[in-house]
Amino acid sequence: MNDRVERAVRNDGEAVRNDGETVRSEIRFITRFEEEFPERLRFIPGCPSGIYVKGDLPNPEIKTVAIVGARACSEYGKKMAQYFASHLAAAGVQIVSGLARGIDGIAQRAALDAGGVTFGVLGCGADVVYPKENEEIYRLIEGHGGLITEHPAGTPPLGPNFASRNRIIAGLCDILLVIEARLRSGTSITVNNALEQGRDIFAVPGRLTDGLSAGCNMLIRDGAGAALNPDDILKALGMLCEEPVSLVSHAGETPHGKKSNGTTTNGEAEAGNATTGKTAKFDLTPKERLVYECLDLYPKTVDEIMRTCRISVSETLERLMSLCLKGAAKECGRSNYIKMI
Amino acid sequence: MYSCVSTLALRGLVGIEIRAEADMSEGLPVFEMVGFLGGEVREARERVRTALKNSGIFLPPKRITVNLAPADIKKSGTSFDLAVAVSLLKLLGRIPPESAEDMVVIGELGLSGSVHKVNGVLPMLIEARNMGIGSCMVPGDNIAEAAAVKGMRVVGVSSLEEAMGYFEGRLPAETIDSDAGTCTPGSGESLDTVDFSEVNGQESAKRALEIAAAGMHNILLIGPPGSGKTMLARRLPTILPELDAEERMEVTKIYSVAGLLKEGQGLIAARPFIAPHHTVSAAAMAGGGLIPRPGECSLAHRGVLFLDELPEFSASTLEILRQPMEDKEVNIARAAASYTYPADFLLCAAMNPCKCGYYPDRTKCRCQESEVRKYLGRISGPLLDRIDICAEASRIDYKDISTGMKGESSREIRGRVIRAVKAQKERYKGTGIRFNSDISVKDMDKYCHLGRKEEKLIREAFECLGLSARAYHRMIRVSRTIADLEGASDIGCAHLAEAIGFRNVDGRYWNE
Repeated sequence: MNDRVERAVRNDGEAVRNDGETVRSEIRFITRFEEEFPERLRFIPGCPSGIYVKGDLPNPEIKTVAIVGARACSEYGKKMAQYFASHLAAAGVQIVSGLARGIDGIAQRAALDAGGVTFGVLGCGADVVYPKENEEIYRLIEGHGGLITEHPAGTPPLGPNFASRNRIIAGLCDILLVIEARLRSGTSITVNNALEQGRDIFAVPGRLTDGLSAGCNMLIRDGAGAALNPDDILKALGMLCEEPVSLVSHAGETPHGKKSNGTTTNGEAEAGNATTGKTAKFDLTPKERLVYECLDLYPKTVDEIMRTCRISVSETLERLMSLCLKGAAKECGRSNYIKMI
Repeated sequence: MYSCVSTLALRGLVGIEIRAEADMSEGLPVFEMVGFLGGEVREARERVRTALKNSGIFLPPKRITVNLAPADIKKSGTSFDLAVAVSLLKLLGRIPPESAEDMVVIGELGLSGSVHKVNGVLPMLIEARNMGIGSCMVPGDNIAEAAAVKGMRVVGVSSLEEAMGYFEGRLPAETIDSDAGTCTPGSGESLDTVDFSEVNGQESAKRALEIAAAGMHNILLIGPPGSGKTMLARRLPTILPELDAEERMEVTKIYSVAGLLKEGQGLIAARPFIAPHHTVSAAAMAGGGLIPRPGECSLAHRGVLFLDELPEFSASTLEILRQPMEDKEVNIARAAASYTYPADFLLCAAMNPCKCGYYPDRTKCRCQESEVRKYLGRISGPLLDRIDICAEASRIDYKDISTGMKGESSREIRGRVIRAVKAQKERYKGTGIRFNSDISVKDMDKYCHLGRKEEKLIREAFECLGLSARAYHRMIRVSRTIADLEGASDIGCAHLAEAIGFRNVDGRYWNE
């Protein structure tokens, strides 16, 4: 083991020589025998002999959630990643992820935007920007978290590195949250690592017919927590959320009014608030609301919307346009619309 | 001894008068043809000699020279044969010397003396009429086409024998006096075998096509494989207003030159629908060859040019469309001459949203965002800039197929389109603008006035959606058409909103 550590250090030395002074000042190398080395990582199977860190390390006193998911994600996945990451980050949770395309990057970006702290675990050198799309996150993360990798500076992003960095993502977190995953995917490696390491796993449910949610749904069947709300995760972390967030007002799936009125008298006020809150947020006319209610987080085509609302093409387009202008809907892809929450 | 007969050559769609002069003099027996002749015209010597022999006329053993004047124009094609033969007959005194005066003679000869169909008869005869020539002799197979030219006495012959008989006054040849202006309508070949009522669902795409037809806006259809993009596009000509007399003439001229008129076909009545395969070369698209033939974009003149799987077309082929789309004609320059063919078409393109075809349906599409962008990026910005409308053909549900409910028929839609076209004609009388899609930025204020409410809407949309100036003008043009379809004199908010909904992808990405 010592041998490996030495080799790693030596490698690091070379990288420093090659890349010059600046790299040394930014990227630190911490062996597992140093006190600074994250305690959580120390006991995971296949613990790295040392890690390279750019920026900070996760604060061991603060709860950490890893958010992972598909690279080619749907609009629903995007929205959910943003929703969970921003609320958790705002509640003071540290967000760990792999800085990959799709869910990873979106969640970390949302955490940063919410003023939170986030850590990216890389499959390449800490000075290598990969993928290009996330370049901005690399820049923003300074001072609001850090980059962690077991690879020396200058290591190119090679395939196997990404599978093995998943054990570090799992190792750093208290809870692993899966937003969107296919049945067999990179995410399932992270999940297996987390299970091995005894971390709690939460998954965001999706439609049964949706291949991108199949992995999540199966996790829930197999006993993972269903993340219906950021509160679920905060509760599991033993944290209190200052502002309870209502799912109903966010998902907008339940037809408001009758149902919530009927069930509880207590909930009535809340549901009513949520409804008026929603309308107030966007200030929709009754005609616009009809179209808004037909929209979903899954992209719907103009034809579908038109058929559900039973109005003409021109009317549908007109109302969708005003919804877009009010920020209540968004066009994604050509003539496909999703609702904004 | 000298004789002369008039005939015509074509340069592009423009006819040029050619005189077939023949002279016989003493000397070594020889039959020679001169006058800057192409290969096929030089071969006419053998065809004419043999055809005459097989019609019972032997050339005397003298020095015979035929000149196709003016001699500085390159002659090509086989339409001079008959004129040369008639000129020789005159020279030999086999027909009266005043024969074939005030007449153009066009036709190809076979060895047996038969007269064969040639290409380009219609544009040649239009030129002849403009020159003040009142009658013509054409192959029997071209007679329907020739009869379309008003004020022209048409003599159709199917053999040299018949031609001689006509000049001698012996045999009555098939003649048509189109003085009365009896314009034979195009036979068969109507595209109206398809109808919009056969398309179930796809309401938004149908609506977009209706708008495109009414304002002659170029349109892009996007949708997953099997959603019926091609089916929709094929029905586009059925809702376009019918070709008027002048347009029929223009279209038939092009088809005549290209040799695409069927035997005995007169004027073309149906709007062309041209759907080249995506492997089409740039030369085939614009027109080409040593003597350029009209390309696909000219064959689509006054009709629809349908490009299925737009990103699969080679970049050079697509770029070549930019000039015709701007100028409504295509210029082809060759060493011998420069040719101009009209190319005023409605471009209808279809494509998948990404390589696999299912974006943004993430249950099926596994393309990375970057791949999706790259796929659209294959179409150049300048080409996208010329497409006003973009609509989505969505996947067909079983419900759509199974319900016996029929959509609107092409006739109903065409009725609305024609009304909108009429409104445009009235508005643009004497301005050179034909359709809303032709409105220049300069004229925009004059024809597309926006009220205060409308200004506010478009300003908000502009800021919210991050539109470009070009996109803005395209949208205003489209909203003008939508207003025309509704019979409204001013553009309203609803029209604008719909135009924004159908706006084309701006720049290189689907969203953001």
